[in-house]
Amino acid sequence: MFGKGLIEGLGITLKHAFEKDITIQYPEERPYLQDRYRGCLAYDSPKCIACGLCVKTCPNNVLTLETFIPEGTKKKKARSYTIDLQYCLFCNLCVEVCPTQTLYFKHDFELSTYNREDIKIVYHRPPELNLVPEGKEEASPGVKTELSDISEADAKRFKQIEAMKTVLGKNPQKSLSKILESEEDIAIMTSLMSADDKKLAKLAELLIDDRDKAAKLAQAWVNKDKKDRPREAGEQG
Amino acid sequence: MENLILFIAHALTSWLVSLGLSPWWADLILLILQWTSIVMIITLNVLILIWLERKVAGFMQERLGPNRLGPFGVFQTIADTLKLLTKEDIVPSKTDKWIFKTAPMFFIIVAVLLYAVIPMGKDMAVVDLNVGLFYFISVGSLSTICILMAGWGSNNKWSLLGAMRSVAQMISYEIPLAFSLLGVVMIAGSLNLSDIVAAQHKLWFILLQPIAFVTYFIAATAELNRGPFDMPEAEQELTAGAYTEYTGMRWALFFLAEYTNLVAVSALASTLFLGGWQGPWLPSWIWIIIKTYSVMLIFMWMKWTFPRIRMDHLMSFSWKVLIPISLVNIVLTGAAIEFFHGMGW
Repeated sequence: MFGKGLIEGLGITLKHAFEKDITIQYPEERPYLQDRYRGCLAYDSPKCIACGLCVKTCPNNVLTLETFIPEGTKKKKARSYTIDLQYCLFCNLCVEVCPTQTLYFKHDFELSTYNREDIKIVYHRPPELNLVPEGKEEASPGVKTELSDISEADAKRFKQIEAMKTVLGKNPQKSLSKILESEEDIAIMTSLMSADDKKLAKLAELLIDDRDKAAKLAQAWVNKDKKDRPREAGEQG
Repeated sequence: MENLILFIAHALTSWLVSLGLSPWWADLILLILQWTSIVMIITLNVLILIWLERKVAGFMQERLGPNRLGPFGVFQTIADTLKLLTKEDIVPSKTDKWIFKTAPMFFIIVAVLLYAVIPMGKDMAVVDLNVGLFYFISVGSLSTICILMAGWGSNNKWSLLGAMRSVAQMISYEIPLAFSLLGVVMIAGSLNLSDIVAAQHKLWFILLQPIAFVTYFIAATAELNRGPFDMPEAEQELTAGAYTEYTGMRWALFFLAEYTNLVAVSALASTLFLGGWQGPWLPSWIWIIIKTYSVMLIFMWMKWTFPRIRMDHLMSFSWKVLIPISLVNIVLTGAAIEFFHGMGW
């Protein structure tokens, strides 16, 4: 019959008019999120084996992993892990590829920030865990800290270390003279540091924290270098 | 209650006369007061109607509709009106200034003029005109000119297209609109709206003239430029049709006039087909409000259900379907009247 569809349509809208509204009054009412909802990407650092698969698989270069090998061990560890959420498209590839379920999606979806830098989530391995005595396993697994969580004292320490690094890079004689006695040793140490950034960083940290240890470490490096060098010379000869 | 408003009017007149004014002046002041109150009622009514429309649309789409300002969001339209009032009034430089500026004024004036003849209650028509229905149709068709003015004055292709569509549509639908009312006029034997209401004392004309009611309803929707016949605005095709270049209060006047027309057409529908102000228990002016609002709710229901019809379908529907049907209805009505007269009823 002509017009049957019109009547039907009117019936449908009338039915819907008296049905329950599907609107959620958002800030007051929270939406129900399914288990696999992809909110903020999170990193559970104790589980991380620093394999770097997530970084390789990310299509937008959201993830950055800095690794190091603690003295005397052969296993890589994560030094810092950065999630630059502004580029994340929540594709789930990193979460799927992670062999230890370190990466996961939280249900937190309110990710707006006032400053562009704040959207980066940086996980740092606590600095004291980097100073593992040689030949020993780590005492405790890395504790997850976000950059914002780091206390003021820690932040100050970081700044001092950074400053010391630049000083060591530009004018090593002056600062090294405080821990090394002979001119020859200072020269060797300078060349060692310019060859190896890690040594420079470690020395800088120790200089801030414990000068005696720094002196011992520096002397050890220099002695080792002295021992190696004649042998090298002999081999060449 | 029944005579409350009439009593106020009489008291006012006699008070003015007692002040020493001649009855002519007293009547004039009363008339001005009547028009002012009509304009006030229309404006307030539109505030309610826009809120209602948005609420109805929300409910039909399983949303909440406006719900932030005031209980159930009733003050939302007031906020919107304030926003429109404070907006910058932009008149594009290449427009035909006079036509552009006067179009919304004429539109609202024409819309308000319609209320002169509608009986708002027992003996409550502002002017009890003996050709009231004729007046209503002729004044109602003037709004086409205002839309054409807006479209032409805007000097904008979308505006002109919208205005042209509006003219084509209004002229086509004016005919079935008038024809569908003819059946009612034939039965009531009068063009006076009060007489037509009185003729429905026993039986509402919607029962005697169901086809006329349906054709009137469809034609009126087209006359009002409401969905599914909102071709002149058709925002997906013509941005806002004839209103594209209008901003702030000028645009709001068009909006106001459209809703005013909606109320007028609904009031006419309830007057002609639903027994007007007649009803048991409640005062007559409450009955007409109830009936008018019911008709308006059906208009809204239709608007939010049906998709917009295509322009050529719209025209062919009027000329090939509605006009023949309303003509047949007139013939049948005439034959039935003759038949029952012959039977001696």
